[in-house]
Amino acid sequence: MSPARRPADRLDADALELLRSIARRGSIARRLEDGAERAVLRSIVEATVALFDAEASSIALFDPGRNQLVFEVAAGEQGQGVIGLAIAPDQGIAGYVFTTGQPLALSEVERDARFGRGAAEATGYVPRSLVAVPLIDDSGSLGVLEVLDKRSSAAFSLRDIELASVFARQATVAIRASRVERDMASLLQGTLAALASPGGTTDPPSAATPATVARIVELATRDLDGDDEGRLWAIVDRVARLRQADPGELDLLAEILEVVARRAERRASQRRRSGRARGVE
Amino acid sequence: MSDSDLPAWSEPFVGDRRSSLLRSRPLGDLDRAAVFDGADGAGVTVAIIDSGVERDHPAVGGKLVRSVVIEFDEDDEPTVRPDSEAIDVVGHGTACAGIIHGLAPAADLVSVRVLGPDNKGKGQIFAAGLEWAIAEGATVANLSLSSRSEAMFPVFHDLADRAYFTNCLLVSAANNVQGASYPSLFASVVSVAAHDVADPWTWFYNPAPPVEFGAYGVDVEVAWKGGGHAVATGNSFAAPHIAGLAALIRGRYPEATPFEVKTILAATANQPG
Repeated sequence: MSPARRPADRLDADALELLRSIARRGSIARRLEDGAERAVLRSIVEATVALFDAEASSIALFDPGRNQLVFEVAAGEQGQGVIGLAIAPDQGIAGYVFTTGQPLALSEVERDARFGRGAAEATGYVPRSLVAVPLIDDSGSLGVLEVLDKRSSAAFSLRDIELASVFARQATVAIRASRVERDMASLLQGTLAALASPGGTTDPPSAATPATVARIVELATRDLDGDDEGRLWAIVDRVARLRQADPGELDLLAEILEVVARRAERRASQRRRSGRARGVE
Repeated sequence: MSDSDLPAWSEPFVGDRRSSLLRSRPLGDLDRAAVFDGADGAGVTVAIIDSGVERDHPAVGGKLVRSVVIEFDEDDEPTVRPDSEAIDVVGHGTACAGIIHGLAPAADLVSVRVLGPDNKGKGQIFAAGLEWAIAEGATVANLSLSSRSEAMFPVFHDLADRAYFTNCLLVSAANNVQGASYPSLFASVVSVAAHDVADPWTWFYNPAPPVEFGAYGVDVEVAWKGGGHAVATGNSFAAPHIAGLAALIRGRYPEATPFEVKTILAATANQPG
């Protein structure tokens, strides 16, 4: 049996450049992404509370590592206690909706002697009524969106379920998008591992040794943090920090960027004009 | 936001929109009394594929004759084991059982608990539960759940055919989330969405599938876990109303096929208006 070729031999310059560009995008996305998923989900539960005029709204996501549904974000006067609560994925209303994909609404739940009281009381708030809809797409269930206690009504209607489902769909799209970004690095790692394996891409990634993978990752990403990219990274980092900015600061920034962009456009168009003029000569 | 943005299988069955269901029926109106008066579901077995059924709940009337739970064994194969305690881990299956028992008090009930604790395998658990219910000779199976897994499509398609050919009527809640879901959207399955008329004896037939029947599913007083009750809304509470009616039809006409039961349900449905 011939010895496996060194992985770097099998990657031509084009492939390396492609990998470099994937790695670059992944790095940028990773720097920008930190906290973005949570921010989007928080804005969705805040919008849900406002739309329904509800006491609380929350989103629980399935954590495969713990095999639990974990309440990640919540909004509303009665919502905060639930954050961090973890439940089994087949227990309670949230578990049922997560497991079956069937949305439902319940009211007068306090009449039920044992229904989820332990979990509900742990949050400091036991709802009179709730609607729970799955965060679901064709790739499966991600979690559950719950809305508790409409102030204007003792129960949720069928239309409320449908409206909550629209919000749940937004949340699902947001989570999928940010997970794609977050998974970019591991995707790159997996692809490289497959490329590095002696049998080519058909072998499982585990066929490559960590050392070969590390070598290819190093080759592919060698220039990313070099001097050429320094200015780009500085901008990326600053954009990421803008999440803390208040609306006034964002307006100011937008104005500054607008001025810079207009100036750049003017200069580019001047360059084009002078280029054309030279061409005529 | 426009109505067209909403995942609204229930839409044809609610309020003014019901008028779209008005049609001239090929068989005319079948006399409801002739079909249902005196029918009690005796001799019929209804499987409730759900979160379990609480055997001692008063709403179940002592009619739970068998209870199993589907779980993965150590080889990750779904297996069936008896659930001697006959519990409901959520309350939902007991709610369905109570609705069915309320309509068909003499029907036997069998609980098939399929809420796998692992998200990844739940389609397999559900399919194994359905397969078991069909093999054990259930007359009607109530499915207030469905799977969206493409990988499970052929499995559920095969099971839906098997049920049809062995004379087991599958009654499934329409899934109100956009996109395909199995087996609720298969032609041989009775797919049910909720209407808002507070009456278990009001149901509508929708000539524009995939969702063919609308039944009581808004603010339904249901049995719940721990001997309790709740008021519930959702397609999953509409399905057991149709399952209960199907049990009555099969009790009266034990030889009726799924096709005939569906026809009788359509011919005895309320005309809108």
